[in-house]
Amino acid sequence: MNAATRITMVKKILADGSPCKKCGEVEARLRDGNYLDSIDHIAVADERDPDSEGMKLANRYQIERAPFFIVEEPGREPRVYTVFMRFLKEVLRAEVDDKDEGTEMMRSSDMDYI
Amino acid sequence: MTDKSFNTEALAAEYDQRSPQDILKLALESFDNIAISFSGAEDVVLIDMAVKIRPDVPVFSLDTGRLHAETYRFLEQVRQHYNINIEFMFPDTAQIEALVREKGLFSFYRDGHQECCGIRKVVPLKRKLASVDAWITGQRKDQSPGTRTAVPVVQDDKAFGSPDNPLVKFNPLSNWSSAEVWNYIRSNDVPFNELHNKGYISIGCEPCTRPVLPNQHEREGRWWWEEATMKECGLHSGNIKNKA
Repeated sequence: MNAATRITMVKKILADGSPCKKCGEVEARLRDGNYLDSIDHIAVADERDPDSEGMKLANRYQIERAPFFIVEEPGREPRVYTVFMRFLKEVLRAEVDDKDEGTEMMRSSDMDYI
Repeated sequence: MTDKSFNTEALAAEYDQRSPQDILKLALESFDNIAISFSGAEDVVLIDMAVKIRPDVPVFSLDTGRLHAETYRFLEQVRQHYNINIEFMFPDTAQIEALVREKGLFSFYRDGHQECCGIRKVVPLKRKLASVDAWITGQRKDQSPGTRTAVPVVQDDKAFGSPDNPLVKFNPLSNWSSAEVWNYIRSNDVPFNELHNKGYISIGCEPCTRPVLPNQHEREGRWWWEEATMKECGLHSGNIKNKA
């Protein structure tokens, strides 16, 4: 990650107006690990508002889960991460246990076909 | 040949209504470093079709250590019947030992299946997929009625691939129904897992799979003690697709 890297986190507000639990957990983990400063912008995907910034980003990148992260670097296509542990490892260079990454992939992706 | 400029989006549209055999042909002719993921269930039809295109097609299977004895017998039967090598991927010993030591042998009934599946399936699968350019699955649209995610016949695998290490995933059976799969099995004398004769449709690990009754959906035979689907993290696709 270089100085020109711009990271956007997209978190969700549920249709009943409450915050998405997983998004809250991820944000807390970023805060606890002192990684929150690495996030340049937080966009909200509000299920009540298809025109909300986060919903538009989800549409643009064809993402169906929240939270997710968009990593933009000059001269490269934006990279989108839907698995938080993977984002931590590959972008923020944090130490991540394979097991934790596997568990999160089962939880956050449509992985029940395997 | 490995085609680095493989246009998955265009090919997904072009091949959406093509036969599984055509999709397999595209996969096997486009990628040398490709493998079929075989679960030991009715996805055996992929192997039957693929060996007619490439007799030495690479096949791998995830041995979670908790499969039915019938499934192990079937995996061996398939290996011999098609004269193929099946590469078995195993869980990391230290991870399994730690899980069992800490939570016992049946933690999934209490904590949900994700942790156990993460260790026994996802980590070994990730390890295998890091070594190929493309893979082939037996995933079908009709297997998960509650899931909103589409199953294109070919896609960029964003779960296991990355921008630096792209991975293409083929789902040749995506548009087939269970009935079409079984029609193929019977018409072509394809061997099948004996658990299917005992009422099992979806076959996974022994503690997490059970037979289903007539007219029950096959997914009711898997992780039946949990909520049908975990939807909290989903973004409503209607909203996503209707608005730019």
